[in-house]
Amino acid sequence: MDLSRIDRRYIYLVIAIAIAVPLLLKVQLPVSVGPEVQKVYDEIDSLQSRDCVMISFDFEASSVAEIKPVAEAVIRHAFEKNLRIVGLALFSEGTAIGYNIISSLAEEYGKKYGEDYIYLGFRPQYVSAILGMGENIDQVYPLDYLNDDWKDFPPFSDVENYHDISLVVSIADGSLPTYWVEYAGSRYGQKIAAGITAVMATSYYPYTASGQLVGIIGGLKGAAEYENLLGYTGGGHRGMLAQSSGHLAIIALVILANVAALRKKR
Amino acid sequence: MLSKKIPIAVCFLFGLFGLVQYFSPHPAAVSAYSTVLDWVQIIFAFTLLVGVVSLLQIQLKHVSRKEKYWGYSIVTIVGILVMAVFGFAGGTERGTAFMWVFDNMQVPMQSTVFAMLAFFVATAAYRGFRLRNVEAGILLAAAIIIMLGRIPIGEMISARIPETAEWILNVPSMSAKRAVLIGIGLGSITTALRVILGIERSYLGRN
Repeated sequence: MDLSRIDRRYIYLVIAIAIAVPLLLKVQLPVSVGPEVQKVYDEIDSLQSRDCVMISFDFEASSVAEIKPVAEAVIRHAFEKNLRIVGLALFSEGTAIGYNIISSLAEEYGKKYGEDYIYLGFRPQYVSAILGMGENIDQVYPLDYLNDDWKDFPPFSDVENYHDISLVVSIADGSLPTYWVEYAGSRYGQKIAAGITAVMATSYYPYTASGQLVGIIGGLKGAAEYENLLGYTGGGHRGMLAQSSGHLAIIALVILANVAALRKKR
Repeated sequence: MLSKKIPIAVCFLFGLFGLVQYFSPHPAAVSAYSTVLDWVQIIFAFTLLVGVVSLLQIQLKHVSRKEKYWGYSIVTIVGILVMAVFGFAGGTERGTAFMWVFDNMQVPMQSTVFAMLAFFVATAAYRGFRLRNVEAGILLAAAIIIMLGRIPIGEMISARIPETAEWILNVPSMSAKRAVLIGIGLGSITTALRVILGIERSYLGRN
């Protein structure tokens, strides 16, 4: 049997087992916290009670499984610190998902809409939305997601533009954090952190090294690290075993393919 | 001729305005800038509408001509109309029909497609990651270290693995990425200048 030209369906089967079976097990792997996640945590932790953070849900439905634990960890931290949250979405699909995440966690923490958080919803054309909020958020979002005039909520009536936002966290599965850096960071000096899918993490390392991003929370591993810092077990930890076995399966397959190719050559 | 001259003139004026206002804190410049940003969003909202209408027209044409896979066009048309009706009639909040369809159909379907990436990555790695020469060997070693470094088991094997993975991301990978980013930046500036000065006219179409 020529293993170097194995039927791809066997590879699919190996990957399916490697990922699906660990999801059924309740094994917790120890996760140590990396510097990038620590930076985001420290930044949020250094904020004062009632400071305002903006959380932008810049992802599509396809990446919910990976990105939701990241969003949950950040929102939990913000609620625990009693920060005010301004939620919004620059991808249309992230709008409803973001609202669901933020409102369900608000219920858990006993936080009230209009007092502890608001949700502005979606605006098309993210570049002009990001730039516009630098001048006046009210102009970009005259009404919130629930069609209320959010300026009528006293805790948020003083929020005019980025000057009143201590930190923007872009929860994204694509290049949106880059736009936040280029337009909100460079032009208005806004501090920005990113929660991103693991596959995008390498793209953002130059931005953290230059200080343009406070830090990054990369995929399930990043979420698990953040959960560690907050002292709870969430979606990040639950996915760690599956991710580990998935990676190990791919490594094993690559080694097997190379050994088979080498033997065939001889 | 005017069909070309007017867009080029508009492009020049707004391009120049964008460039100048960046350095001007004058209230008039700030106000004009805010207005232009509003215009951009309004224009973009209309392009979304144009996109939906265009998509519907194309799909309806497929159905009326019974072209290949026309059944999929019916699914697309029904999907657009049903979601629009649900959204406008019942809203998009939690507990509405719109959100039920979104949560129980769109999210699982898109997640499924995205999850298939794992299988394609695995087969591509199996067939493509071959130790053919030194360069391929370096790439292979880096990939294995990164994959191990991004999971807790890597650290359980050796604390050096995540450290090395972090080094690969922070030094060689970042250098290459920065070179690409600088290239993109310079390319963007050049293209922007070409558009503003009317040298680059491909956005006007062929005629």
